[in-house]
Amino acid sequence: MERGPGVADHRQRPRRRGQGELEVLVLSALREADGPATAGWVQERLGGDLAYTTVITILTRLLAKGAVTRERAGRSFAWTPASDEAGLAAHRMRKVLDAESDREAVLASFVTGLGPDDERLLRELLGHSGSEGED
Amino acid sequence: MGVFVFLPIVLPLTAWPIARLAEQHLHPRTATKLLTGVAAVMALCSTVCLALVMVVGTAQLPGNPLPDGWSDPEVRAAVPYDEVVGKAAIPALCLVVVACGRTLWRHRRVRRRAHRALAGLPGTGVAVLPDEVPYAYALPGGRQGRVVVTTAMLDCLEPAERRALFAHERAHLTARHHRFLLTVQLAARANPFLRPLRTAVAYAAERWADEEAARVVGSRRTVAGAIGKAALVTRGGPPAALAGFAAPGPVPRRVAALLGPAPQARRWPSLFTSAGLAAWGAAAGTAVSAMASANSAVTMVLILRAATPL
Repeated sequence: MERGPGVADHRQRPRRRGQGELEVLVLSALREADGPATAGWVQERLGGDLAYTTVITILTRLLAKGAVTRERAGRSFAWTPASDEAGLAAHRMRKVLDAESDREAVLASFVTGLGPDDERLLRELLGHSGSEGED
Repeated sequence: MGVFVFLPIVLPLTAWPIARLAEQHLHPRTATKLLTGVAAVMALCSTVCLALVMVVGTAQLPGNPLPDGWSDPEVRAAVPYDEVVGKAAIPALCLVVVACGRTLWRHRRVRRRAHRALAGLPGTGVAVLPDEVPYAYALPGGRQGRVVVTTAMLDCLEPAERRALFAHERAHLTARHHRFLLTVQLAARANPFLRPLRTAVAYAAERWADEEAARVVGSRRTVAGAIGKAALVTRGGPPAALAGFAAPGPVPRRVAALLGPAPQARRWPSLFTSAGLAAWGAAAGTAVSAMASANSAVTMVLILRAATPL
């Protein structure tokens, strides 16, 4: 049974696919446009898969993340991509990391921060090894 | 049973010397595995004992799940019945359960969110993000895990040093270091006396990945240089937990270790060195801890069965 586009459909889709994926979908559609595009164009480009309001919501969210810009064109907005998928991912990753104060415990990062004396000690160690290497 | 039931709660103290000495005397791989194992067993035992103390201590509370025969003086004599300690054990156990649950939940959440943030990028083993904040880390999960690194981090490294960074992060993923880290984190939640082990394992796992990177790249100095440069550009980050006490933080120690000779992969240190003594001390503490809690649990079950008219 195919469900017609309606309220139920509109509510279910974002949950099934996740906000992140929708943002990527909308951004890559926008990046395929020649110049600024309207929300209606994006919706059409995505095959009418998403409700118009959903597209607007996603575009507004992308605007807040600096991934798109918009300018007024008549009664609606024309949207232009400002970054690529990697830029969007970088922005989202920063938000994840900023939200987790104790992320060291979860993600093994390459280096941890330096204590008060660590920087001097580190420069000494590296300087020492550097001069040895030049010999 | 007697006071033995309380032993596993304080026995983690026997692991403190090895947590300190493992860094200098054991191969990082051995240290990581040994300390994680010790921490896991000790945490488990101390939680079992906490549960026993609670059950025994609350035997007199109305509505307790124990049978009437429990109030038998003989039974009371066999177990350290103490209402105050027993009642104190209730919130303690609740705290342990809540803290461990929260840790697990947060671990899952961060991983899920990080993976979701990368949605839309090609599913390769490395995700390079255009960002002016330098960072790099290993994100476990998925088919093979991913190395996440920013352009700012790569820009400050020479090609050989970049290879070292990738080898380091890949080593974290291949050896599944996140499992060791999660285990000791949970253990430290279950018994705060195990916190030094958590710090020690976190450091040992980094050293393990450093050594692995040095093996792959073929130069210890290159890895040391990569760590040093990366640390100097990420200066703004928060210092690693508890590293601020005059002692050098983990990064200079890692660099110094890499500039020194490669660690020997001995299986088990001799008893007659300080590290050997500490290792055997930790092993003995773990064994006694396990025996005490197993003994308590068995006694408990036997008494329950004797007291229950079924």
